[in-house]
Amino acid sequence: MKVFGKIGMVLGVAAIVASCHDKRSPNYQFMPDMYEPISYETYQESSAFRNGISAQLPVEGTVARGHIPYEYPNTLEGYAAAKENLTNPTPAEEITDEYLNEGKQLYGIYCAVCHGDKGDGQGILVEREKLLGIPSYDDAGRAITAGSIYHVIRYGLNAMGSYANQVNEEERWKVTEYVLTLKQDLESK
Amino acid sequence: MASHYEAPIREPLVTGEKSYHDVTVDIAAPVEGRANKLWWIAFSIALVAFLWGIGCIIYTVSTGIGVWGLNKTIGWAWDITNFVWWVGIGHAGTLISAVLLLFRQKWRMAVNRSAEAMTIFSVVQAGLFPIIHMGRPWLAYWVLPIPNQFGSLWVNFNSPLLWDVFAISTYLSVSLVFWWTGLLPDFAMLRDRAVKPFQKKIYSLLSFGWTGRAKDWQRFEEVSLVLAGLATPLVLSVHTIVSFDFATSVVAGWHSTIYPPYFVAGAIFSGFAMVLTLLIIMRKVSNLEAYITRVHIEYMNKVILLTGGVVSVAYITEFFIAWYSGTNYEDYTYLSIGAATGPYWWAFWALIICNFIVPQTLWVKKLRRNFTWSFIVSIIINIGMWFERFDIIVINLSKGHLPSSWSMFSPTFVDVGIYLGTIGFFFVLFLLYARTFPVIAQAEIKTILKSSGERYKRMRDVEGKSIAGAAADPRTSNYSGTNTNSSDQATK
Repeated sequence: MKVFGKIGMVLGVAAIVASCHDKRSPNYQFMPDMYEPISYETYQESSAFRNGISAQLPVEGTVARGHIPYEYPNTLEGYAAAKENLTNPTPAEEITDEYLNEGKQLYGIYCAVCHGDKGDGQGILVEREKLLGIPSYDDAGRAITAGSIYHVIRYGLNAMGSYANQVNEEERWKVTEYVLTLKQDLESK
Repeated sequence: MASHYEAPIREPLVTGEKSYHDVTVDIAAPVEGRANKLWWIAFSIALVAFLWGIGCIIYTVSTGIGVWGLNKTIGWAWDITNFVWWVGIGHAGTLISAVLLLFRQKWRMAVNRSAEAMTIFSVVQAGLFPIIHMGRPWLAYWVLPIPNQFGSLWVNFNSPLLWDVFAISTYLSVSLVFWWTGLLPDFAMLRDRAVKPFQKKIYSLLSFGWTGRAKDWQRFEEVSLVLAGLATPLVLSVHTIVSFDFATSVVAGWHSTIYPPYFVAGAIFSGFAMVLTLLIIMRKVSNLEAYITRVHIEYMNKVILLTGGVVSVAYITEFFIAWYSGTNYEDYTYLSIGAATGPYWWAFWALIICNFIVPQTLWVKKLRRNFTWSFIVSIIINIGMWFERFDIIVINLSKGHLPSSWSMFSPTFVDVGIYLGTIGFFFVLFLLYARTFPVIAQAEIKTILKSSGERYKRMRDVEGKSIAGAAADPRTSNYSGTNTNSSDQATK
């Protein structure tokens, strides 16, 4: 019996100590030697910069290695020019089923929520009437091309915002190619 | 006495006209009396050194290892030197209490208690260094294989430093149990003699209710023998494991298969020297000259001579093998021409003089039976054995395989302060022990009193008398003995 009393006492003390942890704040740490970074973490707040964050904007006009600036401006003229002249720089033999499948995955993540899985403008948000006026890809008045699709993903158009910070150049072309297959499917019905 | 034969050639181990009661009184006297001024002075000095050492340790741990004199080439110096030195000193205690028990050496009985105390206290000092030389000592518990939340991350059992953890902790705990078991009858003696309630209470707790029944004694003897049997391989293995810290490495001068036995011999060598240093003083200040006699000192000097011979042979072997191997890197090891003439020539020659030359004087009987010379030699050996560890560690590290990494080491005041602090701590513990513990195993002394006591040897061997009943205290005995002087002696 005495033993049980002692075990109970130890467990009781352990329970009391454990209950000191407040779930609304981070727990106690034992000797946090290398827990806090000395270097700047990407999204860390920092008093070293005027706007208080360590993620600073690059200087206008600089080009990072491995990136090609997009030359068409974010204007109606730019849209028209891209629609007319811009094509996928990826060699045709690299546009395989796998390439399109990756486009499909990206489309499912970023686009289908509004444009619908088939590209008919019947995404889940439209079905639930959260927003309206999503056109279908086979809209004859729009007559989208690879260049215009890419341009719109890059800059956005009217109610649609830019997706340039979600998908990179290669991924944009993958989505573009997949959207063209969706357009074909819609038109062939 | 016809039933007992002891060779007359053996010198008595207890001198004077001692009865059982005298043994009790003599051994209890330092515990029951008050500390004199000399004790307080010694204790104060030790305490100050200890506190200074604590200050240095706190400074090291809170500021960082960089306050020591270590550098990138020489990552071990005074810390591990002192660790190995203290562990080595501790080894004589267990050797005296365990190995000599297995060899039935009766002379161990007067020295084993203090030798074991010395073991415990020096292993405590040694145990400090593996902790404080860590960069992050607060994570020292990671050396233990405890199930944890890092996916049960465990230690690597391939490192001799981990074996050190097991060796030292096992060694300390076994030594402590062995020592304490032996203390039970003596604490009971102090308990039974105590008149003040507080002392009575303390010694009642310490003696675990020892009543000295025949069955208790029988088991006591068995436990002592079993523990001695366990402690003996422990003594050999612990310092072997300490030597593996070096011997398993690839450092020239460290990577040597001779290290395990050579380190153990060195440990016994330095440990006996420390026992001598302590006991030569203790027999005087605690009035134990009748128990720690000249013959005890001589026996210990003989062990020193033996182990000193073993380490000397090891030095020669190392020196020879360094040359015989034909390896260029062995030119700079701690026992080589390079070491003798290099920047650490003074450390090399300190080792040679202190460990190799001076102890050889003990071959002279007159010198090894001389208290003053034994005391001087014992201190010289302790200095020499410190230099041996220093040489092994620092000289071998200072000139490694790459000349671009060659370096020198010089200690800072913190290195020195921590070492002084451990010496202070050791003496704080030892001085407290000498005032509160029975420093001689009186129960054991009483078992050899009649066989090896001077008075009884004389009665038996010279006068040819029976010694039956002769050890009784004449004040309580109605035995009208053979020796009329005994009553004068015992009632003094």
